Amino acid sequence: MIVDSLIVDRGVSAGDAWITVASENARDALSALKGDGYQLLVFLTCVDHLADQSRDWPARYELLYQLRNLETREQLRVRAFVDGDPPRIDSVSDLFPPANWDERETYDMFGIVFTGHPDLTRILMPDDWVGHPLRRDYPVGGEVVEFSEEHEAWRTAPEKA
Amino acid sequence: MADGAGESVSSEIGQGITIAKTGEPGAFGGELLTINFGPHHPSTHGVLRLIVDLDGEQVRRLKPVIGYLHTGIEKQAEALRWQQVVVVTDRHDYLSPPINNLAYALAVERLLGVDVPPRAEALRVIMSELTRLSSHLVWLGTSGIELGASTMLMYCFRERDTILDMNEEISGFRMHTSYIRPGGVMADATPRFLEMLDRFIAKMPSNIDEYEDLLTMNPIFRSRTIGIGRLPAEDAKVLGATGPMLRGSGVAWDLRRSMPYSGYENYDFEVATSDLCDCYGRYLVRIKEMREAVKILRQALDRLPDGPVNIDDRKVLPPPREELETSMEAVIHHFKLFTEGYTVPPGDVYVAVESGRGENGCYVVSDGTHKPRRVKFRAASFVNLQPLERMAMNHMVADMVAIIGTADAVLGDVDR
Amino acid sequence: MGVEALAESLGQNVLTTTLAKLIGWGRGNSVWPLQFGLACCAIEMIHTATASVDIARFGSEAMRASPRQADMMIVSGRVSQKMAPILRTIYDQMPEPKWVISMGACASTGGVFNNYALLQGVDKIVPVDVYIPGCPPRPEDLLNALMILQERIKAQGITPRQ
Repeated sequence: MIVDSLIVDRGVSAGDAWITVASENARDALSALKGDGYQLLVFLTCVDHLADQSRDWPARYELLYQLRNLETREQLRVRAFVDGDPPRIDSVSDLFPPANWDERETYDMFGIVFTGHPDLTRILMPDDWVGHPLRRDYPVGGEVVEFSEEHEAWRTAPEKA
Repeated sequence: MADGAGESVSSEIGQGITIAKTGEPGAFGGELLTINFGPHHPSTHGVLRLIVDLDGEQVRRLKPVIGYLHTGIEKQAEALRWQQVVVVTDRHDYLSPPINNLAYALAVERLLGVDVPPRAEALRVIMSELTRLSSHLVWLGTSGIELGASTMLMYCFRERDTILDMNEEISGFRMHTSYIRPGGVMADATPRFLEMLDRFIAKMPSNIDEYEDLLTMNPIFRSRTIGIGRLPAEDAKVLGATGPMLRGSGVAWDLRRSMPYSGYENYDFEVATSDLCDCYGRYLVRIKEMREAVKILRQALDRLPDGPVNIDDRKVLPPPREELETSMEAVIHHFKLFTEGYTVPPGDVYVAVESGRGENGCYVVSDGTHKPRRVKFRAASFVNLQPLERMAMNHMVADMVAIIGTADAVLGDVDR
Repeated sequence: MGVEALAESLGQNVLTTTLAKLIGWGRGNSVWPLQFGLACCAIEMIHTATASVDIARFGSEAMRASPRQADMMIVSGRVSQKMAPILRTIYDQMPEPKWVISMGACASTGGVFNNYALLQGVDKIVPVDVYIPGCPPRPEDLLNALMILQERIKAQGITPRQ
């Protein structure tokens, strides 16, 4: 049974129920929810709220755990906010086996360090890649497209573009 | 850019690919042998790489290495406007583009708080089921080749060609249709499409019989799949498998039935399951699903309601072409939509749909601007690939091909 | 048989040509592609090999899994930064003479994915002979590219690309 003291905030977003927990309690809360019947971790991901004006965010990175109860078909999203360099949170890969690769992907893409993960390595990018591509301050990359505004700037002053 | 390579962090972060210790003894008196399988290998269904520790010919350890098709689709989606993202959703699970479109479209519609007209819902169901069929056909054809039935490819791709022709008729494109969009569908079905669909539905059951004639009782196919790659129901649930992987282990979990979307609750179909829990069970589930898909198509076609196929909201969808010539307002809407797009209220939503591979979800975060803050695709293949080690353990290397085949991972979906 | 009669019968039964033309003819009609599927385009490549389009009419149905037996590499799909060194290794393993078809927008230019993860055009790492536009191109497009390549191979003579 999840205790109310763990829950910082709760609400419904576009029909999806969610709760927020403090990042240091995330593992305890998920463990309690697993005991409540939320057996399946559908996915785990992160959202980077760098320069997000839509509301006042407690921290830059928001970790999301989408849980599902296969019997009652209820879903619950657990949010935890983390900051720091590197941001850290406890791993849940032993509670929910699918989290293993999800956590590796989140480490690869956002640089979140999951304490206690058995093999926290890059999963999608090459092992020697520098940076975490899905962070908002990481450029999209690619090449300048011809006839676009960027190309115009690059053509007139390539050293500045 | 902090990549987390501090003093204390390095101990938590692994050192890349781990390989068996040299000279580790095996059960048969020899040493374990580490081999590299892929990423360029004809039977890995794409660019999947496996590092396998072999004891004789038996698999003792298996580590999938993925990322060879990482396309940056989620990052790309953040750089595109809401209606442009549809195009990149097509390309992550490239065997079921309309189903990917559907997941994204449903998510954006939930955030916008709109419902599409009934005809659009029915057309979405038709496209989803056609896609499921074409995706299973590719699976059946390529797996057939790997298990020694080369003819399957010719048979299966014959029907897949028919489906692609229908895609072309309704959307103008064979594979990446971008047909399902937030707010409805691209265009109404043409009479020719409905005629083609009718003929296809009439013909398809006999084609599926043909596939079954070739494989179901085929002794070679049976000996290569029965008892191979067992995944008990409990393990499948714990490891998060979905789709035919889960149903092939006897769990009747199908999102179309368990958590209906897009009007699937109105259709009469059975959820295919098999208690065999092995490669053969997963094959039977997919064959059954193809038959059920034809049943759904028949119902959808017979009950196809009349009416509009798009919501009547000029802020989200462009006005009809005729209106542009007469109405100034329509021109303004058109211009605004294609220069800056529309905004979506802040919030986040997760929508899951059932693709040919399992739960294909789309998690969308909006910060109230013209572009999504984050689009995350919950890829079925990504999760379904994780039980691979569990399934391939103690099997022969040759059986691993059957196991990878029936896991039906699309690498574009795994790596995104 | 007299010498005149022999000369006459030879004249009716022997074709004379240059060695370059003969080799070009042989090479052009038996281009064995490497079975190298990357992404979406690979599915259309399989379509090209099936009954309705039938690449076998042009002598290219023998898809080789080993690069050492292949003449032509069809880069069918997007090439990621992680895949690029592997693709180059496979290309290097193919015996000369070898040709490359870049199939689809992603392989040719990066396509709709102008981002960090993809190689913006496979011609950055391997020399490409024919580019096919489309995302993915139709199977007929691949056949057309093969025919263009065949014409080129036939014209190249004994030592192509020297």
